[in-house]
Amino acid sequence: MSIVVDQLTRIYNPDTDFPITAVNNVSLEVKPGEFVAVMGPSGSGKTTLLNMLGGIDRPSSGTVRIDDSDITALGDKELISFRRDNIGFIFQDFSLLPVLTAKENVEFVMQLQGRSHVECATRSLQLLNDVGLGDRLNCVPGKLSGGQQQRVAVARALAPKPKFVLADEPTANLDAVTTRDLLDIMQQLNEKEGVTFIFSTHDPRVIERARRVIVFEDGIIKEDRVQ
Amino acid sequence: MLLRLAWRNVWRNRLRSSIMVAAMVFGLLGAVLMSGFVIAMTNSMIENAIKYQTSHLQLHNPKFIVGEELAAWLPEADGLATQIRQQPGVAAVTVRQLVDGMLASAASTRGVRINGIDLEQEVAVTALAESLAEGGLLPADGRNPIMVSRRNAERLNLRIGSKVVLTFTDAGGEVTGAAFRVCGFFKTPLSGFDDANVYVRRSDLAGLTGLDQAHELAVRLESDALSDQVKTALVALVGAQATVRDWGEVQPILAAMTASVDQTNSILAAVFMAALGFGIVNIMLMSVFERTREFGVLMATGMTKAKVLTLIIIEALFLGGSGGLLGMAVSWLVLALLGRVGLPFGAMAEGLGVYGVDTVLYPEVPGSYYLSMFALVLVTSLLAAFYPARQILKKSPVEALTERH
Ligand SMILES: Nc1ncnc2c1ncn2[C@@H]1O[C@H](COP(=O)(O)OP(=O)(O)OP(=O)(O)O)[C@@H](O)[C@H]1O
Ligand SMILES: [Mg+2]
Repeated sequence: MSIVVDQLTRIYNPDTDFPITAVNNVSLEVKPGEFVAVMGPSGSGKTTLLNMLGGIDRPSSGTVRIDDSDITALGDKELISFRRDNIGFIFQDFSLLPVLTAKENVEFVMQLQGRSHVECATRSLQLLNDVGLGDRLNCVPGKLSGGQQQRVAVARALAPKPKFVLADEPTANLDAVTTRDLLDIMQQLNEKEGVTFIFSTHDPRVIERARRVIVFEDGIIKEDRVQ
Repeated sequence: MLLRLAWRNVWRNRLRSSIMVAAMVFGLLGAVLMSGFVIAMTNSMIENAIKYQTSHLQLHNPKFIVGEELAAWLPEADGLATQIRQQPGVAAVTVRQLVDGMLASAASTRGVRINGIDLEQEVAVTALAESLAEGGLLPADGRNPIMVSRRNAERLNLRIGSKVVLTFTDAGGEVTGAAFRVCGFFKTPLSGFDDANVYVRRSDLAGLTGLDQAHELAVRLESDALSDQVKTALVALVGAQATVRDWGEVQPILAAMTASVDQTNSILAAVFMAALGFGIVNIMLMSVFERTREFGVLMATGMTKAKVLTLIIIEALFLGGSGGLLGMAVSWLVLALLGRVGLPFGAMAEGLGVYGVDTVLYPEVPGSYYLSMFALVLVTSLLAAFYPARQILKKSPVEALTERH
């Protein structure tokens, strides 16, 4: 599974006097199983880029090909099922459903895929164990710490067996220790499940852990290094 | 999972949803009570009309109905009555001679209809015996006894044993009169009826009018439901010589009033449903707006718009259904209580006496009413979900995700 981005551009408010080019003619390729950090100052276009990679926003021009299918050409409906089956999302504010327990949150997306109850139950159990929350299955998010919630979110993102996971500043709301734990978990799952991780961040501790760092500025790739 | 999610979402803001449910309970209770009263009032009107006044069916000479003249008598009335008594479903028949005239005492005068009756026949058909308020029913012997209503007795300043004079036109067209002695007062719930009727023995009246015939047959049936069936049989029996009418035809105004009950109840239900609809739209709008970002996450992670719509609809149905069920239960309990205790109608009953409403009402609604109200609640909730749902569905996942509250 690879992601090939070709001359991707996103202009906000294109028909006004002040159009904003958030992503400017970006091309890049991400190989299967990579662990990539996109870094850059605030307003550089990281979120915009990730949104387009994840198929929740449409580019002004250019293409995003995932395993040879051009997701920018998909219709709204196809895009939804494509996202459901191929892409996992992790958000800065965890964004779990507050009325569902940790286990139910993880199972929910799998159920949308139409997987059997048994499969949902075993996989959610296994994933929550992997992220170290085997004893917190029936807690609602309000009863979990931020770090624990974000770990549930990681389990949720991986539950539908996506090809890659997009995480927009996943550690921005976490302290140093929790950040380190979360990164450990993400790295383990990256290796164990072979899932590609792409995350945006300001955080130097996160950047340290990434194997590939893409430095973004004013919607342009300034640097793309493997470390 | 969608059901579980929806149910928990409804009770996420417990206070808000509870207030909505409470509002629905009181609203429903109001609507059900009002309908219960309207139904009880109408039933009481019909029952009383049948019981005291019209009976189930009446037979007249067709000309009598148009002109109500003494000459328009019903041929062979007593023979006809005997035949009718043998019809299936018929409980009793009474034969009356009717004359319009004046009732005069030393104090005052009133226009009345003089009912010449056979007491034994009459009490088997109407509730004359029950409505006796003072004194006695018409005795078999003694000279010219008369029963007047309590209302007329008060107006004419009469007591038991008082003498009154009835004046009317006899069969020969001559004005004639005779003295009667008051043997009893009657009082029915129908004040208009009480104002306009007096009872004398049919034999006494026949002697005075010089007409040994009758004008009216009143028929009591074994049950209200037999009305149409027996009416058809009687029409076939009597042919053109008599007109057969049921209570609704005898009292068209009352029939029209009762026919509007369904309409009244529909209006009540519609008003309630409108209020409910706006209430749910309001609650769902608030609830959906404050969860915009959550819906963004759901859409990003692969929930289709159809599923999002379904979720919002189920939430509205749960909310409406909760209020509906609880409202029905409370209404049912209150009605069960009032149906046993009854609700005194007090001063209003006087005004409604014209229409024959009892002074104590036992509000009731049929079981089907609860069912249709609940169905309406669900339909209204369903419709009320669409506008809030649209507010979310028109957003793209990013728009929903970036919206902050
Ligand atoms: N919906 C929008 N409408 C208009 N302009 C937008 C919108 N979203 C982002 N922008 C602009 O596009 C540019 C890139 O924004 P983006 O959110 O992608 O940056 P970012 O790198 O994620 O920033 P941060 O680190 O603060 O999250 C910014 O100048 C921003 O103001
Ligand atoms: Mg951002």
